[in-house]
Amino acid sequence: MTALYESMFLLDNAVVRESWNAAKAAVTDVLEKHGAKVTTIRRWEERKLAYPIRNKLRGTYALCYYEMGNENIAAMRREFDLSERVLRYLILRTDEVPATELELHAAEQAADFVVPPPPPDDMVEPDPVPAGLDDDDGSSEVLVPDLDDEGDVDDDDRPRGKKSESRDSEDE
Amino acid sequence: MAFSRRPALPPINQASCDDHVPNYKDLEHLRKFLTAHGQILSRKRTGYCAQCQKSLKQGIKRARHLGLLPFVG
Repeated sequence: MTALYESMFLLDNAVVRESWNAAKAAVTDVLEKHGAKVTTIRRWEERKLAYPIRNKLRGTYALCYYEMGNENIAAMRREFDLSERVLRYLILRTDEVPATELELHAAEQAADFVVPPPPPDDMVEPDPVPAGLDDDDGSSEVLVPDLDDEGDVDDDDRPRGKKSESRDSEDE
Repeated sequence: MAFSRRPALPPINQASCDDHVPNYKDLEHLRKFLTAHGQILSRKRTGYCAQCQKSLKQGIKRARHLGLLPFVG
């Protein structure tokens, strides 16, 4: 049974930067492979993500309306799950294509339509993570002398080396 | 009484169910139904009926999945 579907896809900006048509093809190829008849597909927005997805801070959203049979949805979902170009997707049943969507789709198909290139800083900056790790290392270094100090207070006669060995075995 | 009930917060959005309940694409509208930390406001505060609150919830959760709204923050 065929139905009308509305879908939003979050596309990797690295793909969009190469070519918007290639990014769009990443979606439409999969849709058509599973027997969908694409009514409209357009660039919805390029924006900052609310939280990093696959270490990316920005992404481009594509909004798509298409008709397809419901028997192929599961296979199609699996393909989008595996796709590296599609970061997130949302598939919804809908009753009709809004008139504004048809207009915007037509506007995008026009020859003079230019897709603004995404800004370059869409990846999570690597600096904060190593800094955090350094902090962790520093705190663990501080932690060991603290424990030794406690040990000194509790029982002075216990050899320090032996104690650290026993602590290591506990950690393992 | 030692434990008196805290007075209820006033509804900050007197949303009417006759109005359009925002879907996952109406981000400016959806944001009005979130706290500063990104939590969904209760029905008491949104003023929606149960059914409309449910579709609001659905819209916010869809937007969260797509990375349009935060889960926390």
